[in-house]
Amino acid sequence: MAKIFTPTNQIRLTNVAVVKLKKCGFRFEIACYKNKVVSWRNKLEKDIDEVLQTHTVFTNVSKGQVAKKEDVLKIFGTDDNTEVCLKILEKGELQISDKERTAQLQTLLKEIATIIADKCVNPENNRPYPTSIIMKAMKDIHFSPNSNKSAKQSALEIIPKLKDSIPIERAQMRIKTSITGKETYKFREKIIKLVKKLEYENCDACGITFIFLIDPGCYRQIEEICNAFTECSIELLNLKETAQEKEFLNI
Amino acid sequence: MAIRNDKCYSLLRNTDKIRNICIMAHIDHGKTTLADYLIASNGLISSRLAGKLRYMDSRKDEQERGITMKSSSISLYHKKDDDEYVINLIDSPGHIDFSLEVSTATRLCDGALILIDVIEGICPQTTVALRHAWVEKIKPVLVLNKLDRMILETKMTPLDAYIRLSQILEQVNSIMGDLFRSAVLEKTENLQKEDEENIFSNWSSGLDEADDSNLYFLPEQGNVIFASAFHGWGFTIDNFTEIFSKKLGFSKNVLRKTLWGNYYISMKTKRVMKGAQENIKKPLFVQLILENIWLMYDTVIVKQDKEKTTQIIKSLNVEVNPQLLLFKDAFSTLRGIFGSWLNLSECILNIICDQLPSPNHLSDEKIENLIGSSTKYSTVSDETLALKPWFRRCSSENEAPIIIFISKMFPFEKKYLPENKVKPLTIEEIKARRERVRQKQLLKEQQQETINTTKFENTEEIQSNVVENVDEVLVAFARIYSGCIRVGAEIYVLGPKHDPKIAIEKVKSGYEIDPSVTLKDLKSDEHITKVRIKRLYLLMGRELEPTNEVPAGNVFGIGGLEEHVLKSATLSTEIACPAFSALHVVATPILQVAVEPENPSDLGRLVRGLRLLDHADPSVRVCIEERGEYILATTGEVHLQRCIEDLRERYAKVPIIMSEPIVPFRETIVHPPKVDMVNEEIKQVVKINDDESTVTVYTTNNSCFIKIKAVPLPTKTIQLLQENVDLIKFLTTSAFTDVNNDNLAASVKACHTFRFRHLQPDIIQTVLNFKTKLNESLKSSSTQITLQAETVWNFGPKSCGPNILFNEIEKNECKMSFWNRLNVENIYTKYESNFLNGFQLATLAGPLCNEPMMGVGFVVTDWNIITEELQNYSTASTYGPFSGQLIYSVKEACHRAFQMQPQRLMTAMYSCDIVVNTEALGRMYAVLNKRHGRIVHGDLSSCSEATFKIIAFLPVGESFLFASEVRKQTSGLANPQLVFSHWEVIDMDPFWKPNTEEEYLLYGEKADSENYARAYMNAVRKRKGLLTDEKVVECAEKQRTLSKNK
Repeated sequence: MAKIFTPTNQIRLTNVAVVKLKKCGFRFEIACYKNKVVSWRNKLEKDIDEVLQTHTVFTNVSKGQVAKKEDVLKIFGTDDNTEVCLKILEKGELQISDKERTAQLQTLLKEIATIIADKCVNPENNRPYPTSIIMKAMKDIHFSPNSNKSAKQSALEIIPKLKDSIPIERAQMRIKTSITGKETYKFREKIIKLVKKLEYENCDACGITFIFLIDPGCYRQIEEICNAFTECSIELLNLKETAQEKEFLNI
Repeated sequence: MAIRNDKCYSLLRNTDKIRNICIMAHIDHGKTTLADYLIASNGLISSRLAGKLRYMDSRKDEQERGITMKSSSISLYHKKDDDEYVINLIDSPGHIDFSLEVSTATRLCDGALILIDVIEGICPQTTVALRHAWVEKIKPVLVLNKLDRMILETKMTPLDAYIRLSQILEQVNSIMGDLFRSAVLEKTENLQKEDEENIFSNWSSGLDEADDSNLYFLPEQGNVIFASAFHGWGFTIDNFTEIFSKKLGFSKNVLRKTLWGNYYISMKTKRVMKGAQENIKKPLFVQLILENIWLMYDTVIVKQDKEKTTQIIKSLNVEVNPQLLLFKDAFSTLRGIFGSWLNLSECILNIICDQLPSPNHLSDEKIENLIGSSTKYSTVSDETLALKPWFRRCSSENEAPIIIFISKMFPFEKKYLPENKVKPLTIEEIKARRERVRQKQLLKEQQQETINTTKFENTEEIQSNVVENVDEVLVAFARIYSGCIRVGAEIYVLGPKHDPKIAIEKVKSGYEIDPSVTLKDLKSDEHITKVRIKRLYLLMGRELEPTNEVPAGNVFGIGGLEEHVLKSATLSTEIACPAFSALHVVATPILQVAVEPENPSDLGRLVRGLRLLDHADPSVRVCIEERGEYILATTGEVHLQRCIEDLRERYAKVPIIMSEPIVPFRETIVHPPKVDMVNEEIKQVVKINDDESTVTVYTTNNSCFIKIKAVPLPTKTIQLLQENVDLIKFLTTSAFTDVNNDNLAASVKACHTFRFRHLQPDIIQTVLNFKTKLNESLKSSSTQITLQAETVWNFGPKSCGPNILFNEIEKNECKMSFWNRLNVENIYTKYESNFLNGFQLATLAGPLCNEPMMGVGFVVTDWNIITEELQNYSTASTYGPFSGQLIYSVKEACHRAFQMQPQRLMTAMYSCDIVVNTEALGRMYAVLNKRHGRIVHGDLSSCSEATFKIIAFLPVGESFLFASEVRKQTSGLANPQLVFSHWEVIDMDPFWKPNTEEEYLLYGEKADSENYARAYMNAVRKRKGLLTDEKVVECAEKQRTLSKNK
């Protein structure tokens, strides 16, 4: 028996974002609106009708094949379509839509820029850069964020590269160490290689105390050295040294 | 040009014949046009172009926009009868944004022309101009301009025009009266304050005794000019008395008195009678003057009747070039006729010479005003008083001390400087050159090599010519009050803060001023440098004319002072000379924008450019914000655009982007509110007991846990902490430099040591005082938890901020505090600095939007490290070193404790001073309300009746373009000034949602429009790339449908 298949009675789902779930060898799909699924998963969208195009469970959305009731019942243990849809929404795999993707990348980019601005200074005046300049410098070196890496990780990676575009340095850390005992000289030798600027050095009967600035990247090395020596204490005085006060430009 | 060069030098010496005047008015009332005519009279520009050229507007954007943006000076020559005068004319801008330029101009002048457009009448800036003249004590002459518009545009009858003119005159005089009255009242008030003990103080206001005879503008006194600058004519009553006394046979004196006012001619008796209006007769002014001018316009412009025109010319008895009548353009004919009949420049220059004072007639009042405002004149030392007669004498003799005031530095393109210009060659030079060329050719024929060497020499010459590649130099805009300045003279540069008393004492005690010192080497309490004058210029509008000496009384330019003068200064041969009083300022720089280069690598050039701009423009302020933003503060939008243009084209020469400056916020917590958003009492009080609000956090390796709760600090404490930032900062650094404690610790039996015991006793005392004060302020807290200063462990962020960490751990091993250290070493002292760093990090960036916290106290109730477990883990570094974990956990704990309490944002507030006219009061309130402003105080100002003085608080986030909006809305009648005042809690929960039925009714379900705390928070979060509760797409159905071709 030939089925009448004319374009007029075909309901097309346009602008569909498909969420798929494979379970027990069966494939289920639901039809959602674009740019909405991520909001739902982040619990920003609370209205299910804003997310689901229809409360139907499909085996193939693009072909319009609806899943069989008995299959759904067998696998999900219920035949309430909405409930099944929610489960699929929760666990299924989805394709992130264009706007969601751009929003994600934008936020990531901004986050990276904020982190860099927070961690770095302009060595000429020991002041931080505004984020907008960091953003431009990042564009200059053709940086594009990688969503698989955390913002902090990417920030730390591109700081050295930014030096091509603008003069930039990590804001330095101030550390105090004191050591007693016989190995002071050896300790000093080891530490001094990593120190950017030695601010204070005091030697008395019971040992030596140093206060110095280091690149924050070297902190772990310094700590390891300190731990290797017994009778050595390390104290973090300041996480980042920057000029703080507002300043009026004069000659 | 010829007249100037030869005669000027001799004329400049004749102080009696010098006039320093400026032109002031509301924007577009014809200042620059008038200046054009005056310049044309000297033949510097063609008289036909006068009024169109705008010679004084030398900047490109000035020409394009048609407004003046800077004050610039020109020296003019005028011959009146047999006397020759030099007039230093300063054209000033009319736009409110450039009011500081007007101040710099008025400071250097003795007289002023104040223009009023007769159609527009008195405008806000007219009042400002009058006030400027009043404050600087300079003599004004009124010019009622644009009479032609009355005739051609509004088609008034002469009688109407007369009424209009007299109305304007009355208004101006009432303003003058107001200024006069308030000044007198102020004076008597001060006097009364001084002799308050005096029982017999008189109660008269002092108004009766004060003399105001010279105050008002009266046409019969000759200080009112009627003019049309555009058509080039102007007259005073005097012009016509001459003519009509001959024609009508009245005496000149009678006519001078009656030509303006309510007088008419009775034809029967042939006498001038009073009461023209009552008898419905035309006043003399209308009948004799205005009607004639109206007739002229009617025949020449409207009817274009050539025959009648010639008739009129004949009857006027003026010589007119017959070609004039042949012009097709009737306006040119009109101008030509008026040019010889009622010549504008002639008239105005005569009035300037007659009415306005010469520099050697400075009044005592003005001198006092110049030197006395900062230090009271009567208390100045003898050496300074000795200078006073020199001011009055204004002599150029050699023994006279030199006193010069620089009111601003203006930029000038280096290549246009006279010394860098190509000069026309004299005949001898040309000959010499020819000779050289000839020789060269000879040489060339002789030997090839020699040419190469000459070429080489030439290039060397060129190289030496290129001095620096800075194309802008700054020239000082100055006036000499006494003495004669010559090139090569050595002179002291006295900064604006210079105090002669202190300086004299210093010199007496053997302090010498090093001539090599420049401004940047000066310490904060030194204000004197020494300089050798290298270049002097006469200011000629767009050009500078080099000169070797300038005698007293003149306005001129000095080159090569960039290193010595910042914005304004006093130059003198005497150190006793006081710094001149500060300029009268109307608009302060309050429009702030952040500027940055389009290309980040240009930052260095931008900074250099900003420096130059700051130097060259008196009303600009540039600063670097804590976050590294470059903030440019200007007086208004037009000024801002000019500054940006200047930066782009002249100073920095790099593309620039400007943006709204970043608004800082603070995060805090408050006590749970007792009423909800609709002011209903919250009934079911959710009682949070201590256990619930205390947060317990474990480190990732589970070997340590922390218990913290957050409490709001009382406002008193916050205030105290902010006042003592420097002390706390000092203490934190000094506590760490105290090292040699360990051996001492053994000898002392107590388990604590005072951290600051190595400091001097007086500092220790201040520390103890601070501690007791802190304790008192903490007691005012209304929470059940009692906080004590004794348990303070640290301050944050940055170790000196307004948040406190309290140590209330009961364990003996960790009884350390900000004041005391533990004498025993244990695992807790080892990790103390890490713990504190965690707290510092937490307070530096709060959980709301990563802004610093303010006024939050964190109470640590427990801290436990399980040592055995820690040792197990120390080798296996799956979670990283323990110190790092601890920092992170403390930060986390602080944030979570913070979130347990009702959170609030704090915004910085500007205190906003507004002086506003009564008419504009309502509109100004509207602007303030729209921007969440709060009025604190509003009252009639004490001296004037028409102005209100208002103090309001305005959130910094709402202040962008506030000033220009206020000005727009009140049509310039209100002038706000903003100063940072304090931090204020926005009393609105950023996470608030309607709960009760009433709230639903009032705000609806979403309630997002009302909650501006949330809007602020989200804006900051968005900027920083943090998660916000904004959806990518609001409505799923409203997205664009992309059809697929199927």
